[in-house]
Amino acid sequence: MNPEADRRMTEDFLRPLLHTTWKFYVAVAFFGSIVLAGFATWGYQIYTGIGIAGINSPVFWGFYLVNFVFWIGISHAGTLISAILRLVNATWRRPITRCAEAITAFALMIGAMFPLIHLGRVWLFYWLLPYPSQRGLWPNFRSPLVWDFFAITTYLLSSLLFLLLPMIPDFALVRDKTTGIRSRIYGLLSFGWRGTPKHWHRLESGMHIMAIVILPIAVSVHTVVSFDFSMAVVPMWHSTIFGPYFVTGAIFSGIAALIIAMALLRRLLHLEYYLRPIHFQNMGKLLVTMSLLWGYFVFNERLTVWYGNESHETGVFWATQAGDYAPFFWTMVIVNFVVPIVLVGIRRFRTITGTVIASCGVVVGMWLERFLIIIPSLSYKQLSYMWGSYAPTWAELTIMAATFAGIALLFLLFSKFVPIISIWELKVGDQPKIETDQPLADAEAEGELA
Amino acid sequence: MDRRQFVKVSAASGAAATLAGCGSPENQLIRFIPEEQFTPGIAIHKPGVCTLCSAGCGMQVRVMDGDVEVVKDGQLGVMQKPLAKKLEGNSEHPVNKGKLCVRGQAAIQVTYHPDRITRPLKRAGERGSGQFTPVSWEEALAELVAQLDGLAGAGSQGALRFLTRPLTGQRSVLVGEFLSRFGAPAATTFEFFGEQVLRRANEASFGFSQLPTFDLARSSYVIGFGADFLGTWNSPVAQNVAYGEMRRGRPGVRAKFVQVEPRMSQTGANADEWVPASMGTEGVLALGIAHVIMRSGSRQPGDAGRAGALIAGWSEGLADYAPEEVERITGVDAARIERLAREFAEYGPSVALIGGAPLAQTNGLFHALAVNALNALIGSIGAPGGVFFTPRPDGFVSGAQGASIKDVASGILDGRAPAEVLLINDTNPVFGAPPAWRVAEALSAIPYIASFGQFIDETSNLADLILPDHSLLESWVDAAPESGSMMSVASLAPPVMRPLHQTRAMPDVLLTVGRSLGQPLEPALPGSYEEMLRAAFEALREPDGSSVSWTTAQRQGGWWSEMPAASPSPSVLDEGPRAFEEAAFDGDPRQYPFHFLPFASQAFLDGSLAHLPWLQELPDVMSSAMWSSWVEINPGTASGLGVVQGDLVELTSDHGTVRVPVFVSPAIAPNVIAMPVGQGHETFTRYASGRGANPISILAPTEEPTTGALAWAATRVRVAKVEGDGGLILYGGALREHPEHSR
Amino acid sequence: MQEEQVQQSEQNEGYRWGMAVDLDRCTGCEACVTACHAENNIPTVGAEQASGGRTLHWMRIERYFEGEFPDVQAKFRPVFCQQCDNAPCEPVCPTYASHHTEEGLNAQVYNRCIGTRYCANACPYNVRFFNFYNPEWEKPLHLQLNPDVSVREVGVMEKCTFCIQRINTAKIDAKANDETIQDGSLQTACVQSCTANALVFGNLNDPESEVSRLARSPRGSKLLDDLGTEPSVTYLNRETWHESGSR
Ligand SMILES: Nc1nc2c(c(=O)[nH]1)N[C@H]1C(S)=C(S)[C@@H](COP(=O)(O)OP(=O)(O)OC[C@H]3O[C@@H](n4cnc5c(=O)[nH]c(N)nc54)[C@H](O)[C@@H]3O)O[C@H]1N2
Ligand code: SF4
Ligand code: SF4
Ligand code: SF4
Ligand code: SF4
Ligand code: SF4
Repeated sequence: MNPEADRRMTEDFLRPLLHTTWKFYVAVAFFGSIVLAGFATWGYQIYTGIGIAGINSPVFWGFYLVNFVFWIGISHAGTLISAILRLVNATWRRPITRCAEAITAFALMIGAMFPLIHLGRVWLFYWLLPYPSQRGLWPNFRSPLVWDFFAITTYLLSSLLFLLLPMIPDFALVRDKTTGIRSRIYGLLSFGWRGTPKHWHRLESGMHIMAIVILPIAVSVHTVVSFDFSMAVVPMWHSTIFGPYFVTGAIFSGIAALIIAMALLRRLLHLEYYLRPIHFQNMGKLLVTMSLLWGYFVFNERLTVWYGNESHETGVFWATQAGDYAPFFWTMVIVNFVVPIVLVGIRRFRTITGTVIASCGVVVGMWLERFLIIIPSLSYKQLSYMWGSYAPTWAELTIMAATFAGIALLFLLFSKFVPIISIWELKVGDQPKIETDQPLADAEAEGELA
Repeated sequence: MDRRQFVKVSAASGAAATLAGCGSPENQLIRFIPEEQFTPGIAIHKPGVCTLCSAGCGMQVRVMDGDVEVVKDGQLGVMQKPLAKKLEGNSEHPVNKGKLCVRGQAAIQVTYHPDRITRPLKRAGERGSGQFTPVSWEEALAELVAQLDGLAGAGSQGALRFLTRPLTGQRSVLVGEFLSRFGAPAATTFEFFGEQVLRRANEASFGFSQLPTFDLARSSYVIGFGADFLGTWNSPVAQNVAYGEMRRGRPGVRAKFVQVEPRMSQTGANADEWVPASMGTEGVLALGIAHVIMRSGSRQPGDAGRAGALIAGWSEGLADYAPEEVERITGVDAARIERLAREFAEYGPSVALIGGAPLAQTNGLFHALAVNALNALIGSIGAPGGVFFTPRPDGFVSGAQGASIKDVASGILDGRAPAEVLLINDTNPVFGAPPAWRVAEALSAIPYIASFGQFIDETSNLADLILPDHSLLESWVDAAPESGSMMSVASLAPPVMRPLHQTRAMPDVLLTVGRSLGQPLEPALPGSYEEMLRAAFEALREPDGSSVSWTTAQRQGGWWSEMPAASPSPSVLDEGPRAFEEAAFDGDPRQYPFHFLPFASQAFLDGSLAHLPWLQELPDVMSSAMWSSWVEINPGTASGLGVVQGDLVELTSDHGTVRVPVFVSPAIAPNVIAMPVGQGHETFTRYASGRGANPISILAPTEEPTTGALAWAATRVRVAKVEGDGGLILYGGALREHPEHSR
Repeated sequence: MQEEQVQQSEQNEGYRWGMAVDLDRCTGCEACVTACHAENNIPTVGAEQASGGRTLHWMRIERYFEGEFPDVQAKFRPVFCQQCDNAPCEPVCPTYASHHTEEGLNAQVYNRCIGTRYCANACPYNVRFFNFYNPEWEKPLHLQLNPDVSVREVGVMEKCTFCIQRINTAKIDAKANDETIQDGSLQTACVQSCTANALVFGNLNDPESEVSRLARSPRGSKLLDDLGTEPSVTYLNRETWHESGSR
C-alpha cells in the first residue's frame, strides 16, 4: 500500500481523537443538558407517578413504547447491515461498518431504557429478571415482556462484542500513535494486540462467527418486540405478519439512520474522501429495496384487514385510514414510500443530498409507523364505549428529545475516543488510489452520484 | 390445544431448560394472604334510614372499628371507634327491599366529608363573605335563644320563619309543634322538584293528597309520562326492584313498557317503545288513549268515576280527543295512538305513571288529572299491578303547611310580611329557586339567620349563626315514606356511630332552645328527640290493635305493617271539569326557539348531593359525563347550530344566560334542549364549588296556577355557540351503536 | 398444572364463581357502580384526572344508542372483569401479578404488580384500571375505607376481583360450620346493591345454583365470545315485546 496514503489515512482518522476544538465542548454541553433534562424528568416521574405522562385508560402505552420500538428498530442499522455486508464480502462496506455498529449499540442502550421508563413501579424492575429468590418466584416466562428482556440483553451484548472486536487493531494503532496515559489506556483496550498473523487470523474468524451469529439474533429481537403486540388480542395487533413486518421496518429505519450518520460524519469530520458517493449510492439502493419491501407489508396488512372487514378491527382501520390518525398514516406512506422511490429510486434524481433527505423522511416515517401501530389500536379496542385517545405530555416529549440528544451525545463522545472509521479494515481493503493533490472538497462537489 | 396449553408447553420447554428443578413458579406465588391466615374484620350491621330523598329507604350500615384522629385536651391522638364503613339496603325494609340507590350508597360521604362544618360558627365578615369564626355550643345556643326571646319580648313571634326541606316523621311533627307553640307561622318547605301538582291531582281524582305507590311487579303494561321512576322520581329504589320483577319475575310474562318524553331519561332508555310527544301535551295523549279505549267499548266512561268527571267531555267519550286531533297536538301518529290504546286495554294489568316535566307546565295539573282518569278508566286504582295509596302511620305527618318560599320572599321584600329571624334546615333555595323569586335578596333582608347546615352552601353562607347538624349516621333518624310500599311504614334508626365532630342533632337543638327560652314553650316539648320517637312508636297500633315494640323497631329499622287502606277524603276541591289548554311557555318562540328542559341529575338529584365525590365521578348513565354540566342537543339541531360534542354554547332565556358544553344525543327532540340540575354551585364544598352551570339560574318564574308550583319546564331559550373550553368530561368514548354484534 | 387444578376443583365440586347479568332487568341505575367503589376502596381521581381518562370504575354501565330520532333506543350493559377462564391478561403479565386461581378467578396481586400495563392492553373488555398517581382520600374520607381490602399504590393495576374478600370471608365461615356456601348467601357488593336484581352471583360448579341456571338460559351469551376468552359472566339478552305471545 501506498505509504503516503497510509499516513494520511491514519492522520485523518486520528485527528478527531487528538485535537479537540471549543465546538466540541459546546456540542457536548448542548446535548448533555437535554439528556440531563430527560433524566430529571424521569426522576420527577418516579417521584410523583407515571401520571405525568399522557397515557390513560384505554391508551395504556404511549410515546415511551413508541420510542422503545423505534430505537430498537434503529438499532438494526448496524449489526445486521454490517454483518450481511461482511458475509457477502461487499468491500464498499469498509468505511461504514464501525458507524453502523455504533448506531446499533447506542440505539439499543437508549431503546432498552424505555421499558424501564414506562414502568409504573420502576423500583421493582428486577422482578422482570430471573433471579433466585427465597420464595422461589420467577418471572412469567409466558410473557412477551420477559422474552423481550432476554432478546434485548442478548442483542445488546452481542452487538457490543461485534462493535468492540474490530476496534482492537485500531485501539492498538492509537496506542502506538500516542504517548503517556492515553497510550496506556488504549493499550489496555487493545488487549495486547500485536498484529501478528495469529492475531489477525483470530480476529477474522471471530468477526466471521459474530457476523453469522448476530443475524438470527437481530432478526429475532425485532420479532420478539413485535410479539409484544401480536400476542395480545388487540385489534390490528393480533397479526401473523408482525414479525417480518417489524424486522423489515427495523432494517429500513436502520439503513436510513446509517445514511444520516454517514452524511453527518462526512461533513463534520471532513471524511468526504472516504465516504464516497458510491457508499451513498449503494446504501440508497438498499433503502429503496427496503422501502418496497416495507410498502409490500403495509399493503398486505391493510388489504387483509379491509377485505376481512372484521368488526373489531374496522374501528382501528378507519381511524388510521380516514379518521383521527389518517394524517399521520398518509404522511408515513409518503415519506416511507413515495419520497424514497422518487428521490433515490429514480436515477435522475439520485444525489447525496436527496438520499439524505429521503433517509430523514424514513426515520420520521418509521417513528410514525410505530406510533400508528401502538396508539390507534389501543384507542379503538373491541368495546366502543371505551374508545379513547391520547396526547403526549411535556414529560414524554422531554424524554423523547433526550433520547435524540442522547444518541448525538454518545456519537460525539464515541468519535472523540474511537476512530469512527475502521482504519485497519480500510487499509486492508482496496481503496481507490489516493490522489494526494486532490482537494478534499472536490468529493463533495461531485454532487450527483454516478 | 388452546392458548393456555400452548403457553404452558412453550413455557415448559423454554423455562424448563433454564430452570430445571424450580417447579411451577406460579403455584409458589403467595397470593393475597393464604386463606387460613386471612382474618376478615369483624363487622356488625346496624339499621339506618336514608334521608337524601323523600323515599325514606331503610339502610343496613356496616360498622367496623377504626382508628380516628381525635383532639383531646389540645392533644392529637388516635382512638378506636366504631365507624360506618358501607351503606347497604335493609333487606327487611318494605320500601327498598335490601337495595339502595346510587345516591343512598354515597350518603356515607356526607358523614366523612372533609368540608363538613365541625363546630358552631358565627359570621365574622360581611354576610355572604363566607367568613365565620368558631364558637362554643353554649355561646351559640345562648345567642339563638336571645334572638328568639327578643321576638317574644316584642310580641313579634310571627316574625320567626322556619325554612326546611320537606320533612317527614317526627322531625316534621317537632318542627310544627315548636313553631306553633312559639307562635310562629308553619314551616316553609322548599325543594326544587316539588310534587304539589301531583298531590293535588291525586287528592282531586282519588281523595289522597299523596304520591302514588305502583305495583309494577304485577303490571303487564306500563305507560310512563315523563316520570323518571327508575332514576330519581318518587321512590326509585322500590320502583327499580318492582321493575325487575315486572320484566322477568313471572314465567312467561314480560310486561311492555312505553315511555312518553321528549328527552330520553335513564328510565326512558329501558322502554320497549319511546314516544317523544311534544312538551306540554302529555295529558292529551293520555286522553287520546282513553278516547280510543272508550270508543272500542271495552271500558265505559263511568268506570273512571270521580277521576273521569274531572275531565271535560269525559262522559261523552272524549270526542275532542280523537286520534287525528291528538296527533295534531302531540305529534304522535294517530295509528300509533290507536295501537297503544288497544294494547293498553288488552294486555293488562296496565298502569300509567306521570311525573316530572309534564307536571311542571302551566297546564301540569291537567296532565296529571288526565293520566289519573286513564288509570281509573283502565281499572288500575287499588288493583294488582296498579296504583295504591299507602296508608300512613298515625302521628308521623305534620299537617301544617307553611307559605311557599316565593310568598315568604315577596312578603319580606314588599314589607307585607317582614321576618326578623330565620331558621334554615337543610335546604338551599338560593341555589334552587328561580332568580325572579329574589330569594337571596329577601334572605339578606332578614336581620338574623341561623342555619342547621352541615355544609356551607349558597344559603347557609348567608347565615349569622351555624349550628351544624349531625350527619344521618350520627343521629336518631326516622321517616314516614308516603309511597314506595303498600305497607304502612315508619322507618327508624338509632345513631350508627358516635359523632365525628362537635355537631348536635337539629331536633335536640330545637328541644334545648325550646326549654331555654325566657318563656319556655308551653306545653313543654319532650326532653329529647329519642324520647319523642319512642313515644311516637309506642303510640302506633298494629291492625289487630296491639302496640309496637320500641326495641323491635330499633333493631329492625322501623315499623311496618299491612294496614287497611285509608279512606279517601271526600271531594272537597272545587275542581270543575278541565279541558286541555295549551301550555304557556315563557319567551317568544321566534326569539327563543327551543324548549328548555331541566331534569333531575342521576347523581345529584336537585344539586343537594353535588358535594359527594363518588357522585361527581359517577358517569351519568346516559351521557357518561362526570364532574361537569352538559346540555343535550339533537344531532340535527347541533349541526344547524354548528356545534359538535364538547363545544361550549350559551343558553339564553328571558331571565338569564348560562354557558354549558354540548352533548349531542340522538335521543332528544330537535326542538328541546335538556340540561341536568345539580351543578353550578358557587359555594358548596371543594368538590362542587365553581363546577358547571346551574340551569335554574335561567328559569322563568312561571307557575302552575292552581298550586302555585314552579313550572320549571316552561322556559324557552335560544342557543348560540361561543368560544371557549366547554370542559365536558365524558367517561364513555364512542357512544355509538354496539360495534360488536349485539344479539 | 393450573388447568388440572381447575378441573380437579370441578370434580371436587369446589367453587367456580360466576355471574349472570340480566340485561332485561338492568335499568342503568348505577347503584352497582357506587357499591363497588364503597366495597373495594376505589379512589376518585378528581375532575382534571378524570378528563385525562384516569378514573377507576371496576364496574361501569355502558350505554349504546341504536337508531336515529325518533326511532331511537338505548341499551345498557354493565361491564366488569369477566373473570375469563382463558384470560388474555394473564399470560402477558411478566410477574404473575395477574394470574388464575383454582376457583376460576383472575386474581390480581397488587404487591407483585410492577405497572407494565400490558395486561390492560391485552384485556379486550378494558376492565383493568391503573393507578397513575397515589390515590388520595381527603381526611376524614379515609375513615370509610374497608379494612378487608388493601388500598393500592401508584403504579399498580387493579380491577374487579368478584369481591374476593367477601368470598374468603364466606369460605371461612362455611368451613367453621363445616358446610359449603349456600347459594345466594354470598353476594358481591354490586350484586347485593343491584336494585333491579339484574346481577346474580354464585357457584357455577353447582348446577342447581341460580347463576348456573341463568348461564344455561337460551337468552345467554358471553361478551366478545368470538375471542375465546371463556368469560365467567353470562349476559342475558334484553328481550323485545311482541304482541303475538312470546313476551
Ligand atoms: N425493634 C424491634 N425488634 C423486635 C420486635 C419489635 O417489635 N421491634 N419484635 C420482636 C418479636 S416479637 C419478634 S417475633 C421478632 C421477629 O423477628 P424475625 O423472626 O427476624 O422476623 P421478621 O423480621 O418478620 O423476618 C423473618 C425473615 O423470614 C423470612 N421469611 C418469610 N417467610 C418465610 C418462609 O416461609 N421461610 C423462610 N425460611 N423464611 C421466611 C422473611 O423474608 C424475613 O427475612 O422480632 C423481635 N424484635
Ligand atoms: S331513593 Fe336513594 S336517595 Fe332516596 S331514600 Fe332511597 S336510597 Fe336514599
Ligand atoms: S375480563 Fe379482562 S381482566 Fe378480566 S380476566 Fe378477562 S382479560 Fe383479564
Ligand atoms: S401492569 Fe401489573 S398486572 Fe399488569 S401485566 Fe404489568 S405487572 Fe402484570
Ligand atoms: S364483583 Fe365486586 S369487585 Fe367486581 S364489580 Fe362487583 S362489586 Fe366490584
Ligand atoms: S345496579 Fe343493577 S340495575 Fe342498576 S345499573 Fe347496576 S346492574 Fe343495572
